[in-house]
Amino acid sequence: MHGRIKVKTTAEQQETKRKEREKKLKLYNAATGKIFDKRKNKEFDDDLLALTGEVLAQNSDLYTLWNIRKETFLHMKEIKTKEEMEKICNEELYFLESCLKGNPKSYGTWHHRCFVLDNMANPDWKRELQLCNIFLEYDERNFHCWDYRRLVVKRSKVPIEEELEFTTNKIHSNFSNFSSWHYRSKLLPLIYPDPTNPVGVKEEILLKEFEAVQNAFFTDPDDQSAWFYHRWLLGRGRKKMVISCLYASRPQNRVIVSTSQPVLVGSNHQMEVYLKDVSIEGSWSNVAGNGSPYSRLWISFKFCLTG
Amino acid sequence: MGSPVKDVSIPENAPKTLLLQKHCDYIAAYGSKKDEYEYCMTEYLRMSGIYWGLTVMDLMGQLDKMNKQEVLDFVHQCQHECGGVGASIGHDPHLLYTLSAVQIVTLYDAQDTLDVEKLVQFVKDLQQEDGSFVGDKWGEVDTRFSFCAVACLALLGRLNEVNIDKAVDFILSCMNFDGGFGCRPGSESHSGQIYCCLGMLSIVGRLHHVNADMLGWWLCERQLPSGGLNGRPEKLPDVCYSWWVLASLKIIGKIHWIDKEKLVRFILACQDEETGGFADRPGDVVDPFHTLFGITGLSLLGEQILKPVNPVFCMPEETIRKAGIKLELLT
Repeated sequence: MHGRIKVKTTAEQQETKRKEREKKLKLYNAATGKIFDKRKNKEFDDDLLALTGEVLAQNSDLYTLWNIRKETFLHMKEIKTKEEMEKICNEELYFLESCLKGNPKSYGTWHHRCFVLDNMANPDWKRELQLCNIFLEYDERNFHCWDYRRLVVKRSKVPIEEELEFTTNKIHSNFSNFSSWHYRSKLLPLIYPDPTNPVGVKEEILLKEFEAVQNAFFTDPDDQSAWFYHRWLLGRGRKKMVISCLYASRPQNRVIVSTSQPVLVGSNHQMEVYLKDVSIEGSWSNVAGNGSPYSRLWISFKFCLTG
Repeated sequence: MGSPVKDVSIPENAPKTLLLQKHCDYIAAYGSKKDEYEYCMTEYLRMSGIYWGLTVMDLMGQLDKMNKQEVLDFVHQCQHECGGVGASIGHDPHLLYTLSAVQIVTLYDAQDTLDVEKLVQFVKDLQQEDGSFVGDKWGEVDTRFSFCAVACLALLGRLNEVNIDKAVDFILSCMNFDGGFGCRPGSESHSGQIYCCLGMLSIVGRLHHVNADMLGWWLCERQLPSGGLNGRPEKLPDVCYSWWVLASLKIIGKIHWIDKEKLVRFILACQDEETGGFADRPGDVVDPFHTLFGITGLSLLGEQILKPVNPVFCMPEETIRKAGIKLELLT
């Protein structure tokens, strides 16, 4: 239960509410009872769509009822004409839209929408993108909707440059929009790739981004979104794989290797050390002594360095 | 113009001490209201609800107040022919509820309640070519399900049944610019998903892939002036993030990066003195979900009256130790 404020009620109000709920519960139990019976008898018909629809409109988290609707759709696809099916699917999309308005954060509802679109002969992806625009107007941080948007973009091959433009507009209307900054971090390396840069994006683009993010935190220094993005732009999050230090002690026959990133040393992955082009033998252990095959610090005590 | 910080204020008269017995009474009574509206409307997550209730009772040292036989009979009846477990009798099998069922039988040390072979096969069959896991046969992919799958198998001692390398690769493909993780590749970081991904990597011993400093910064910034934690930047605090964020920080060895006293104060203020239980925020309606995560948060913060909780499985540490499970945690 999220964000439901506890309200003090009188005994009378409680009694009215109790009666109301009792009535609702009776209807709910009757409907779910019928639904499960029909499923058992394989009656995948309009009536079953109507019944599951009634319950889901009230409680869209009932995942099993979405599954029953999917079964019904797959059954109907076998027996109905293409035109009939197109009509049923479009009605389903309207129904889903109303469910999403009631509960825009239901995993089951969004997933069912993907299912319906993927089962349509001619899905209207433009309309879907429009729907995302509307839902992101209501709540610009709804990650379900952002994820659905990314699916729509992928399926309908929306140019990703247009998506970048979309995030620019979103950020202009509100700097404090972490979801948009996040999306940019995914889009920029695709649109302006530069594998030699630690962030994977062309330098001149990064400079422009830097200016934009500076505007954001000058406007509102307490806003976190811009600062996280800023750190990413500076490329401080990534470390290149290098040998940071190699120590060899002849009197102790000991070699220590330190790397900037953990390396895997185990049964199929050996670390080899060469001395004047001669491979020298030894066995490595992880300095932490925790048995993990990944470490940034490896030591070998029995190197033969006397040769 | 700066946007105002989203937060709540803690009322002067909010509870300041742990009302342990009230919470036990609240949870113990919850299952006895089976004909009530609220109870029936949450049937679609019953299996998880039972796991929440049992775990919180165990952490409070009162697991014996719950009806063990009734619970185990219910769990048994919810397993399907395919091996997967549904949220309730007649509800479809799903990884979310399969994990809850495995957690329940582990708490009770009663694995024979379930057909383990079939269950393992169910989990195995949900792994996809790219290493990800779908929640059920309808194909929704989510990093939550990667955690569920690996956690199930670890509790059953059957981790070797799936392709761990591929499962790890998929998790890493969901890593973001802030060091966090989202639902799928491309998705925004979210504390709940971060917990799942870190938990998964901890179970399989691959936490070295995580940039603990960068992620730790993002996670500790979840703390707001009220002391409460939110799940993403610019969101309201919520007691359940005392778990998702705190457990994540614990896994990467950075729990000391948040202000403990302020968080304890926030969690305690979310208790309901009349009914027992915790709400998401001070003054809201309580439920078993937030009650568990209020208690586990306090346990992670070192509240001595509670049993220590395991940060990966969200179960008593002693249960995980007894099951012989070894986890990787960063220090």
